[in-house]
Amino acid sequence: MAAARPAAAALTPAELGVLLDRAGLTLNPGQVADLVLVWRQLAGMVAQLPRDRKLADDQAYVFRLPVPDATPRHAAPRLAAPRLAAPRLAAPRPAAAKPPARPRAKRPPAAKKKR
Amino acid sequence: MTPLTIAEAARLIAARKLGPVELARELLARIAALDPVLNAFITVTERQALTAARAAERQLAAGTKHRLLGIPLGLKDIYETAGILTTAHSRLLADNIPTTDAETVRRLRAAGAVILGKLATHEFAIGGPALDLPWPPARNPWDPKRFTGGSSSGSGAAVAAGLVLGATGSDTGGSIRLPAAYCGIAGLKPTPGLVSRRGVIPLAPSLDTAGPMAWTAEDCAILLETLAGHDPADPASVAAPRVAYATGLGASLKGLRVGVLRRFFERDAPATPETLRLMAETERLLRALGCVVETVEPPPLADYNAVGRVLICAEAYALHEARLKTRLADYSRAFRVRVLGGALLTAADYIAAQRRRTELIAATAALFARHDILLSVPTPGAAPLLTEQRPDDGFARPFLTTAANVAAVPSLVVCGAFTAAGLPLGVELMGRPWDEATVLRVGHQLETAAGTRARRPQVAIE
Repeated sequence: MAAARPAAAALTPAELGVLLDRAGLTLNPGQVADLVLVWRQLAGMVAQLPRDRKLADDQAYVFRLPVPDATPRHAAPRLAAPRLAAPRLAAPRPAAAKPPARPRAKRPPAAKKKR
Repeated sequence: MTPLTIAEAARLIAARKLGPVELARELLARIAALDPVLNAFITVTERQALTAARAAERQLAAGTKHRLLGIPLGLKDIYETAGILTTAHSRLLADNIPTTDAETVRRLRAAGAVILGKLATHEFAIGGPALDLPWPPARNPWDPKRFTGGSSSGSGAAVAAGLVLGATGSDTGGSIRLPAAYCGIAGLKPTPGLVSRRGVIPLAPSLDTAGPMAWTAEDCAILLETLAGHDPADPASVAAPRVAYATGLGASLKGLRVGVLRRFFERDAPATPETLRLMAETERLLRALGCVVETVEPPPLADYNAVGRVLICAEAYALHEARLKTRLADYSRAFRVRVLGGALLTAADYIAAQRRRTELIAATAALFARHDILLSVPTPGAAPLLTEQRPDDGFARPFLTTAANVAAVPSLVVCGAFTAAGLPLGVELMGRPWDEATVLRVGHQLETAAGTRARRPQVAIE
């Protein structure tokens, strides 16, 4: 099984303050104490979750879209055809085979200009 | 009058030996007498109930037949009801009156059921019994000093005390099955997608299910026949085939293969000696019914619990994020303790939990390759005292019930036995996805073999 993450270190008050500010929460001291208690337990659970996975092993969000129906019962209203059709891109032509290189005819040397 | 089951009342009503109005009046009187002790109800809808009961009588006279016609039910107060207060047991919704019924409520009303009222819950279906809310927590009819279990706390209490013949609940980490266990009734968490969640106030959408609670597994099956079914307006609803769950409950169990999740209740969340004796007896009863029973080895309970807690915390926090910033003090302490941790989780934590969930779903499915039912217990022991409840329950020790939520399988709790002190103990039966029929069949026959259904709590009127 993929390796779990080491247990999260306990949050310092300063760290907790930064996280709460980021979350937009304002807690009184009692509420902070409750959160610290629960976070210790929740962080332990987070640490149990495997983290070290191959990049190809993504199974998290498998979802299946419904198969398109040829005769939908509740067909969405059809969109009007656009007035200005987007220019169609020409299909790329396959590259033509290059003709064999011809030997270039030698040019006579250019006359030097007198300055 | 000894409270009736739904099946018994339906037979009497169909035979014209009992009228819906008579039955509704009797239960309303019972509620008036006992609910001051039990606090099972947030709202009693007496006038609407009697109107519905009269309508049921007219339908009967016209020849309409339905097993729920005239049957009095209660709704967990997270099920939206048109024109009727729906509070989620929270100060934040103290004045909330929806304009439409939840889809499940619509189906129950269409079947002729009589809604007696809205039932207590833990705030927004999470948290625990709280004394800092406008309504007190529900109390256990077997001993009012004890916890009902939650979050469908009022549903468990009302069914056990015979204030309603059936109720709706919701289950995200055990919220139908825990009160079913502590209150000695039957409660079914269905496969996700079987029962519409439209109009049911959510907690953690990855895990939320809506389901029935009643005195017996048979009654849960009768309720499920009406509750289940595709709802095109619920994106999580699945078009599963319609099943007659209440038919064939007595069919033979010979050869059915039962896998016992022994490590859950012997090592991971050790059960009390009385619960262990219950499990030994349950295995014996199942063998006597023809089942093949053997031990199976699931992944550790802590793995299921870690996934469940992280998902619930993250999703519940996301749902309530805006209000937690502006109305923090209006939530109960129990809610804050169980949800605020979600503010500290990272997106990577959440994705790690979802990935691990996928593995646990596959690992649980592998157990069903050789077994038809997985057997466990929903709680280590009987209902604890209300005063022993801690806001951080669920974090401090794992919930046995969360495994079925994470694994996305149906799970039924039925009453298996009583402790020496007279408190109920539940057993938990999990099935393959969409196989509620087998789970209910085994639960029904186990209840009958255990002989627990003749014993009702005696609630002393203060």
